[in-house]
Amino acid sequence: MLEISGITKTFNARSPNEVRALRGVSLRLETGSFLIIIGTNGSGKSTLLNAVAGTFIADTGSIKLAGKDITRWPEHQRAKLIGRVFQNPFSGTAPNMSIAENLALAARRGRPRGLGWALGHNLRSSLRDRIRALNMGLEDRLDNAIGSLSGGQRQALTLLMASWLKPELLLLDEHTAALDPRSADQVIRLTHQIIHGDKLTTLMVTHSMQQAVHLGDRIVMMHRGQVLYDLHGPERARVRPEDLLNRFEEVRHREQLDPTVAEILRRNYV
Amino acid sequence: MTLLLGATTIGLILALLALGVYLSFRIFNFPDITADGSITLGASVTATLLVHHWSPWLATVAGFLAGMMAGTTTGVLHTKFKINGLLSGILVMTALYSINLHIMSKSNVPLLNEISLATQIEHMGHAAFHAETDVNLFGWTVGVRDAAMLLGVLLLVAMVGLVLYLFFRTNLGTAMRATGDNPQMIRALGVSVDFILILGLALSNGLIALAGALLAQYQGFADVQMGIGMVVWGLASVIIGEALVGSHRIGLLITGAVMGSVLFRLLVAIALRWGLNPNDLKLITAAFVFVALIAPALLRKLKSAPKPGPA
Repeated sequence: MLEISGITKTFNARSPNEVRALRGVSLRLETGSFLIIIGTNGSGKSTLLNAVAGTFIADTGSIKLAGKDITRWPEHQRAKLIGRVFQNPFSGTAPNMSIAENLALAARRGRPRGLGWALGHNLRSSLRDRIRALNMGLEDRLDNAIGSLSGGQRQALTLLMASWLKPELLLLDEHTAALDPRSADQVIRLTHQIIHGDKLTTLMVTHSMQQAVHLGDRIVMMHRGQVLYDLHGPERARVRPEDLLNRFEEVRHREQLDPTVAEILRRNYV
Repeated sequence: MTLLLGATTIGLILALLALGVYLSFRIFNFPDITADGSITLGASVTATLLVHHWSPWLATVAGFLAGMMAGTTTGVLHTKFKINGLLSGILVMTALYSINLHIMSKSNVPLLNEISLATQIEHMGHAAFHAETDVNLFGWTVGVRDAAMLLGVLLLVAMVGLVLYLFFRTNLGTAMRATGDNPQMIRALGVSVDFILILGLALSNGLIALAGALLAQYQGFADVQMGIGMVVWGLASVIIGEALVGSHRIGLLITGAVMGSVLFRLLVAIALRWGLNPNDLKLITAAFVFVALIAPALLRKLKSAPKPGPA
């Protein structure tokens, strides 16, 4: 279970470039649930994911995962509990190392790394099987450098790597946004398969309303560093992509209103 | 012939320097200037211990460990104190100059009357070839000392290269390569990038100090000035090695660095023989590395430039 309580984060505090990226976000995610986060650009959805992953330490608030308070843990320590797929397909794999070596690295996520062989015989055969199941024809190219693969193939492998040792929490940060539609489809199908197969607790950020509606069992919409809507249960079951788009429209209207209101207030009172 | 044997032997010894530079510059993409200080550190520690009648093996290992400490210091300055990588190396290198003088308590320690790895290899050579001064090697008459030294160093460097290759295939070694290749990814897989970088720099400078320890024993002295420009020397060897093997496979790259170092030393020996002024050596080495660094981009530019059509 993931428990985020009132976390805030301000970048470049007390400077002209101050950004209040998170303004008190609280979320409770039951074990095995699949939460989708949507929101406008700059709403803080990726920042929230990074806060959980430990890319930075939150200013206030606490984060608990699997019964442990990880609020102050550095990123590499949190990786024991968290599997992660980035938006950029190049971020999740080491390009100059082979497919097999990349997976071998993932097979020891968060575990001590000593002087044992990275690629034992058993590991090699089991990873060949898992890669064959991807149906991408990569099982015969285990010793090729991963840099020679396409973005979609690399993202599928990153997904496999993030979930190789069943993580307490899987973080997906718009992991299909940089892919062509066909590869995106393929990666989404794989995502569905892995998350349901292993019953992984998942936090996924997406721009695609289709994905938001068809994947996951709960939708959270963020705006200006806060949770705006939290759709679950029957409400979540009824929601259609158009409904989500309407909510975006609402937010946009409110945004447009704000400067005018501010102007009227300024004229009347200043 | 003696000249070529000597040059090859020194080239093999400096191959350890090339391997260290390969580790920091290529695997971590970390421009580690500590090398100039740590090669002298290895030489001065080993030479001083030999003068105090330590066993040559122990003295050599001590030189290696001293280098590891130097590398650790650079790594800690960079990761824990957030000092720019280049500057961290410069600080440690500068400090090492004084430390080396303290270790040797003078600027030069001669080893001519000490028992060292070199004298031990020479003894083994006499025993193995059953000869006092000269031996026939593939039709050439060469000095026993030169031949034995070459074989001994070759064996040692091959062993170090093999161990390094095997290390890079362990869990820790692959994590180290991945750290240089994609730090974001390896952090997400639970590896402390800071720790691995410190470990890698320790290993790199250990190898470089080992080169210094062997070089001092081979040439019969340690000198406080011997490290000047060694980083560039090592980098030149690595670049030649990469051109020779033209591959990203780790085993080939290690072999390439060794071959590059030997080839570079041979070229230098020949150039000096043909009358190159030794004072110009470092200038030419630097110019060579400069050309090698800009050549790939320049070639790409020339290739992609639109060809002028017929007038």
